[in-house]
Amino acid sequence: MNPLSALTDHVARITVIAFHAFTQLVRMKVFYFLAFFALILIASNFFNLPQHEGPEAAGINVLRSIKSWSLGAMTLFSIVLSIVSTALLLPKDVEDRTLYTILAKPVPRLDYLAGKLLGVLLLVFVSLALMDLLMTGILQIRTNMVLGDQMAFAEARGWPAEEKEALKNDILAQGPTASLQGAVVSVFLRAAIIASLALLISTFSSSTLFTTIIAFLVYFIGHFQADARAAFLSQEAGTGDGFFARVVTLLVALVLPDFQLFNVIDAVIEGQVMPLVILGKLALMALFYAVFYIIASWLIFAKKEF
Amino acid sequence: MSESTPAVEIRHLVKEFKTSFKRQPLRAVDDVSIRIMPGEVYGLIGPNGSGKSTTMKALLGLVAPTSGQCAIFGKDSLKVDSRNEVGFLPENPYFYKHLSGKETLEFYGKLCGIRGAILKDRVTELLELVDLAGASHRRIGGYSKGMLQRIGLAQALIQQPRLVILDEPTAGVDPIGSREIRDLIFKLREQGITVFLCSHLLEQVQEVCDHVGIIFRGKMVKEGRLEDLIAIEDQTELILKDADPALIAEIEALIARDAKAKLIRTGKPRTTLERLFLRETKKQETLSK
Repeated sequence: MNPLSALTDHVARITVIAFHAFTQLVRMKVFYFLAFFALILIASNFFNLPQHEGPEAAGINVLRSIKSWSLGAMTLFSIVLSIVSTALLLPKDVEDRTLYTILAKPVPRLDYLAGKLLGVLLLVFVSLALMDLLMTGILQIRTNMVLGDQMAFAEARGWPAEEKEALKNDILAQGPTASLQGAVVSVFLRAAIIASLALLISTFSSSTLFTTIIAFLVYFIGHFQADARAAFLSQEAGTGDGFFARVVTLLVALVLPDFQLFNVIDAVIEGQVMPLVILGKLALMALFYAVFYIIASWLIFAKKEF
Repeated sequence: MSESTPAVEIRHLVKEFKTSFKRQPLRAVDDVSIRIMPGEVYGLIGPNGSGKSTTMKALLGLVAPTSGQCAIFGKDSLKVDSRNEVGFLPENPYFYKHLSGKETLEFYGKLCGIRGAILKDRVTELLELVDLAGASHRRIGGYSKGMLQRIGLAQALIQQPRLVILDEPTAGVDPIGSREIRDLIFKLREQGITVFLCSHLLEQVQEVCDHVGIIFRGKMVKEGRLEDLIAIEDQTELILKDADPALIAEIEALIARDAKAKLIRTGKPRTTLERLFLRETKKQETLSK
């Protein structure tokens, strides 16, 4: 078999397994959570955060509130979906012996793992796309309302044209921007890393519960590992044992992702612009960890006996 | 691939499992060798825990041999491409409950690289073969045990393999379902497909297999052609139909005149309880129509 044909076969099999995993999860009625998301989104319209700015900033807080609650809910749902779905799929196949019938077909174990992971990622992607659609729609409507009110306010006060333009730009920056879409993509990338990690854990874990707990732990550790590394390095620098400390922290960084890099999402909520280069960095980071975890999963899974 | 290449070749297979607390590993399969030629129906029999399923799993690459080799049509079992020629039905299979029978076959077909009209035709053909065309759109979750076994057999056959491995194919199935699966095995034999099955239902194995192996505590204790193994060499069976009592008396007198031959038993042959059950249920079914 020539390499191109072999590659096509791999891609075809992975696609079949991925779409099957996606269908399996969809038929478990996971999309019901979208109703909760819609409720959160509607509720976020009524949260009045403390207003420190003047009347010209009225309404902007509501826009921030919508973005903050929406992206928060997206993060929560995407992380829960990534961990729980991945932790569930592998042990279920082993327990139901469906894995025997799949691996008894000409299916390499790497294709099986990659297919399952892609199925989960497809589910997370579609979920995020639907949530994004809802958020963008509501935000657009609300931005138009705020813009209308503020423009009328500026008109009544007889503001000069350039000040009105500046006010308009300030309001639009809080609405549905390209940076906001970048933030949603970042949420997806973070979920992709955590799903790959859950896949790795589920290849050696004996239960879904264990995989879920460990994956959540790593997710939380990922939020402060950069600080811990920095503190450890500065402490070790004082003792003169810098090389060893650097190797240890490098290994920690290799295995555990630094989720603090995703704090750019908070800046987007505040209305700041997300540079494309940051999104590119996050994408590369997600790709690195996804490939790293899947290769590690394969090395363990290839030796596994059923 | 020549016809002289064995469909299955297991050479000196040993499989040990690590145990947590015992010092010695558990030897599930101990120096087992099996050779099955194309077109044969081979039955591996033995009590529960004797190593039947482990032998099959080693042949499918689901467990790695501690020592020894397994090959399917000359290809190493640990290599993925050996699985192109084999279909497997595990013991008590559970398929994805969210899929219908048709979707299940399509899924396994696509895994084997079958697409489009060929897949559609193959799925229809197999659903008819296993008598599930009427239930093809029903979710697997609602299938009975017998239906699950039949859809399992259909998925094993999806890529038209030359070898089919069946692990306890009739376990937990009622006599009618069991007979249907047996009839399917006969059909496979007619098509020249090699069948390797394991069971502890000896009567069924005797009915469908032409070669058998007896495995006990991981060791192959007896192997060969079924006819050779079960024949009682010094006895002859003579079954007559519509024989007159006078004829029987004459035969008995003839035997009595022979110094060496001895009549052991005469009487009417009996049907099996299973045949009686199938006949009576079929009769009732016909009456109720």
